[in-house]
Amino acid sequence: MADLAKGFRPYVAWANARGAWPDMIFSTRVRFARNLEGFAFTNRAAPARLTEIRRLALTAVKESGLFSRGHFFRTETLSPQEKNFLAERHHISPVLAATLLAAGVAVSSDEDLSVMVNEEDHLRLQCLSAGFAIDEAYRSALKLDEALGGGLSYSYDGKFGFLTACPTNAGTGIRISCLAHLPALARLGRMPGALESLSRLGVIARGIYGEGTYVLGDFYQVSNAACLGRSEEEFCRNMDTVIRNLIRQEIDAREQLLTGPGKLRTEDAVFRALGVLRHARSISYGEFMQNMSLARMGAAMGWAIGLDFSTFNQLTLLMQPAHIQAAAGRALTPEERDAFRADSLRKKLN
Amino acid sequence: MKLCEECHKAPAAVFLKLAVNNKVTTVHLCEGCAAKKSAAFGAETGIFNISDIVGNMNGYLNDFLPAERGALACRACGLKYSRFRETGRLGCPACYKSFEPQLTELMKRIHGSARHTGRAYAGGGAPKLSKAGAARRLEALKTAIMTAVEKEDFETAARLRDALRELENRRG
Repeated sequence: MADLAKGFRPYVAWANARGAWPDMIFSTRVRFARNLEGFAFTNRAAPARLTEIRRLALTAVKESGLFSRGHFFRTETLSPQEKNFLAERHHISPVLAATLLAAGVAVSSDEDLSVMVNEEDHLRLQCLSAGFAIDEAYRSALKLDEALGGGLSYSYDGKFGFLTACPTNAGTGIRISCLAHLPALARLGRMPGALESLSRLGVIARGIYGEGTYVLGDFYQVSNAACLGRSEEEFCRNMDTVIRNLIRQEIDAREQLLTGPGKLRTEDAVFRALGVLRHARSISYGEFMQNMSLARMGAAMGWAIGLDFSTFNQLTLLMQPAHIQAAAGRALTPEERDAFRADSLRKKLN
Repeated sequence: MKLCEECHKAPAAVFLKLAVNNKVTTVHLCEGCAAKKSAAFGAETGIFNISDIVGNMNGYLNDFLPAERGALACRACGLKYSRFRETGRLGCPACYKSFEPQLTELMKRIHGSARHTGRAYAGGGAPKLSKAGAARRLEALKTAIMTAVEKEDFETAARLRDALRELENRRG
């Protein structure tokens, strides 16, 4: 475990605060789902074929020239902890972390690009960018897609577009996601309404690690639901509009918290949360995220929190369970992990 | 004190919010049940519960897919249509041809359209193909043609053969 984690930098560029709304949009991700012509999809392919797909895909990734000094892993060589570490950095999905098939992953040296092999689809290639950066993430992902699609033979159909194991991903195969921090909407109980209006706009919200994951610290992964019938650029534009709309709703909610009769209670909650982060002797990741969410909102409201958004973002990554174990350099019991987390928080925040 | 919603015995210590099909649900669990629930991933925070979503997703597809009488199956990989309705996962690219009418219906419902209008893909015909890249693509195409012929999917085989010829011509 320690060896795998050492190969990665402690801070990742895509977690730096950047863009027009660094307090609300943590990062942007664009991914394409692709499969290779002549092979059954991952769930129906024979083991030998899956190994073949992995060999073809990882060779194409290496030859794309976009992954020099990057990381290449075959999942069967990774321990559960190492897989969790990669999942916490959003390079692999929970599905890939749990797979028993011959799967793999490539991560570029800046950790902005990654390619999962033999997840639900043969290839899931993605670009992660800091802040609200749909256009930038789309262009980088497209460049990667074109580089791989030149060497490999994608399975493509004139009518249905790029063919995928699940029909929900067919067509462009694109998914555009923004990781949005929406504490004021959540605090005012407006999230269910906001989510309902999102669904009418063809947009879904999920938990922090994507499909099938819990909402932690009021972070929502907001993505397009449909990906066929319109061009990639149109899907990007639609997401851009939806995210701006969501940002407006969060701003309104923050205004209300700042000016309404509940201001003192909000302020009290924010500074109590900061107190927990600064002084706790034992803290779970869930509790860290709850308190961090409030403190982060306080910083956005201009209160004297003394921390910038990049610090909040990096902590969100570094305080995760597998990252804590990597920092400790050994396996920890949950109790030891919570104590270690509280210790490193105190060192960073005081 | 609120009790765990799973075992109804221990006090609830963990509050989990889950977004499923755009609805946020909060579950209150004791530490033991939260750890069990999240065993699929780093068992500390109760981050994942994949089966909830997968179950949900399949129900969703099932509602939208027309039922078929008889034993409709993919002529290439043998996947039964009834199995696809259960799992929501297709077996191979040729399933899209085998189940085309049903999928057309499904696509209209989930995407609002059944015709791709995004970027077209002309095979690995990118102009900047490296020598090694071209060799690998040739190899991949040959494998694909053999597979298609074995499956008696001559339509695909013919299309792939054209792509192979084009690539060979380009390499000179």
